[in-house]
Amino acid sequence: MSERHWAPDERGWTQILGSICVDPCTSVAQEKALRLFAAFFFLLLPLSAAENDALCAACHASEAAHHRATPMAQALERVESCGILAAHPNLTFQDGPYRYAVVRRERATILTVTGNSEKLELPLLWAFGRGQAGQTYVFEFEGALYESRVSFYNATGALDLTIGATARKPQSITEAAGRRMDWLGARDCFACHSHNGVSDGKLHLESVAPGVGCGSCHGDVEKHAEAVRAGDATGAKLPHLAALSAEETADLCGRCHRTWSQIALSGPRGIPNVRFQPYRLLNSKCYDASDLRIRCTACHDPHGSLETNLAAYDRKCTACHAAAQHGKLCPVAKANCAGCHMPKIELPGAHARFTDHQIRIVRAGDPYPN
Amino acid sequence: MRCSPRNSFAAAVRLAPILLAFAAAAQQPPPVEELLRHAIELHQKGDIAAAIPEYRAYLKRVPGNAMARSNLGAALAGAGQYEEAIVEYNKALEAQPGNASVRLNLSLAYYKAAKISEAAAELERITAGEPANRRAVLLLADCDLRLGENKKVIEILTPLERQSPDDKALIYMLGTALIRDHQADRGQVLIDRILRDGDSAEARLLMGATKLSVQDYAGALADFKRAVELNPSLPDLYSYYGMALAATGDTPNAETAFRKELETNPNDYTSNLQLGILLTQEDQHTEARERFEHALAVRPGDASARYQLAALDLQDGRTEIARTELEKLTHEIPQFVEAHVSLATAYYREKRKQDGDKERAIVLRLNAEKQAAEPGAQAR
Repeated sequence: MSERHWAPDERGWTQILGSICVDPCTSVAQEKALRLFAAFFFLLLPLSAAENDALCAACHASEAAHHRATPMAQALERVESCGILAAHPNLTFQDGPYRYAVVRRERATILTVTGNSEKLELPLLWAFGRGQAGQTYVFEFEGALYESRVSFYNATGALDLTIGATARKPQSITEAAGRRMDWLGARDCFACHSHNGVSDGKLHLESVAPGVGCGSCHGDVEKHAEAVRAGDATGAKLPHLAALSAEETADLCGRCHRTWSQIALSGPRGIPNVRFQPYRLLNSKCYDASDLRIRCTACHDPHGSLETNLAAYDRKCTACHAAAQHGKLCPVAKANCAGCHMPKIELPGAHARFTDHQIRIVRAGDPYPN
Repeated sequence: MRCSPRNSFAAAVRLAPILLAFAAAAQQPPPVEELLRHAIELHQKGDIAAAIPEYRAYLKRVPGNAMARSNLGAALAGAGQYEEAIVEYNKALEAQPGNASVRLNLSLAYYKAAKISEAAAELERITAGEPANRRAVLLLADCDLRLGENKKVIEILTPLERQSPDDKALIYMLGTALIRDHQADRGQVLIDRILRDGDSAEARLLMGATKLSVQDYAGALADFKRAVELNPSLPDLYSYYGMALAATGDTPNAETAFRKELETNPNDYTSNLQLGILLTQEDQHTEARERFEHALAVRPGDASARYQLAALDLQDGRTEIARTELEKLTHEIPQFVEAHVSLATAYYREKRKQDGDKERAIVLRLNAEKQAAEPGAQAR
């Protein structure tokens, strides 16, 4: 059996650092290597979204405090501080000839893949997703970032194949370990799950702050804070997001939750697009690009946690569908509108059900629209 | 070896002013002709910067001398002032419309100025009168290849290929057109003929292009890599290499490849367009716009370049400009899904809900039609 270890022993790090240095973006790669080195050898505490947003909390304490508790603020964690991996220190999974083990060793977590007389050990670096549905891991191998082929699923409390991985049969142990992320894909993943990591259209791993931060939606908050400190009201202006139309809000949220245009152009088609709420919402018959009562933030507080009580959404529906405005009202029920008109749909492979945001009259046996 | 016919044409054009110069010098120069003689002398010595004002001074006094005007055109083209050269060549042709040498020079100036369709139009006039003018025919085929007129290239080159079955440059161009026209079987015959002489960059490029067309990206990459080792200056090679790299997600190296192609082949439509798309993704809108505009200059009216510019306008907040162009595009090409998608966005931004809804409905219909036409749709 041939073995390739990428654990942080002397030989492994030399190889990793060596491979990173051939990256065309040498300075970034070197910084990246140093950060990796520091993270594993000195166990530096990571900066969280909350700490990065402390700047905003000085004036906007309530919004910041609420936001810290949201899944968005925890959309990315460094593996050494990942709660799910700490709570599940020994995970295993078998897929055909490949056996997977995700094992916690102090604060590091190692993904070991064995199969076809080969073995690969890889320290996981990043945990994507808070674990409401699942959590996927990212590691670095030979200078590139990889998305792990196995993910943790909250519903089962176990590993399973990452969504999308089921369609691909690995041709090597490297492919069994994960999917090589292309440059743009990696940038876009970090752009949505973290902040401060993307500037000038490029990913800078060394400055990534995990989780969606204030600046992810509000723009240049540091400049704003500086201007406030200097008493410069003009320089302190940030976009007034509360004034955005339904369309503009969908485009803003769609930067990460995917816009209607993105899905319309590139898919996916069918049930897999149930995850992309702006696209689904905009396909609703009742969607009106300029009606504020149907914008994302009419139902969801971007600074707060997700409301799970269906009845709480009823008054959002009756804001339009009230007797005074509609001659014909729902003949089936007077409450829990979303339960029927926004059904939860099982996404194959995700071990989770997603609320379909295409608001409609759902009839038994009707195919999934689109 | 640079296989393209462009180099041999360039040599021909360099000779053109010299031949004209001999013709002019053979006459006994009257006093005013001294200016012309001096201009020609400077031109022949390669002192183009000094020759241009001499030609201009002469032509001020003798504006009707077509040969002197053509020489001025050649000097201006030599100095890279293609637009001015085009003006002079056109004036020369007004006096001598049947002069094929001047027209060939004019077409080359158009070609260099990235006005490929104008170059092709001039070359078509030459080849209509002189079907055996091989240089003009090959350059016309090269222009048509750049314009994406693959069927025309095949039509032009197929008879020539029968006459010159060992002309590698011709075979390479014809093979490229066949592969782009999805006639891979005929293309393969030509690749095999090139391969008879051993491994070559041309054959590797054609093989890679064939693999790229069937989405065998790994295979295509291997062929392009080998072609680069064999002849990195082969026209279009880095353009194809860039596309294969982009298809495999290696966008930083794809960008490098497109830039390398443009260093030697600045009028390459694909590299300009693809590099623009990559730059847009990197939020480098200013340079992206330059690339798209250049691609549009190479292929005037090209829908892809126009769409990319409109999409860039939409991103940059120039909604009205974007909307106007997108309306034109969707009118011209009703099946253009991307244009309908962006047009819907433009309408919504302009608070034109009904128009936006209409565009979105078109997109959903087109997507459904596309899905229904996919293999296996009937079984589903």
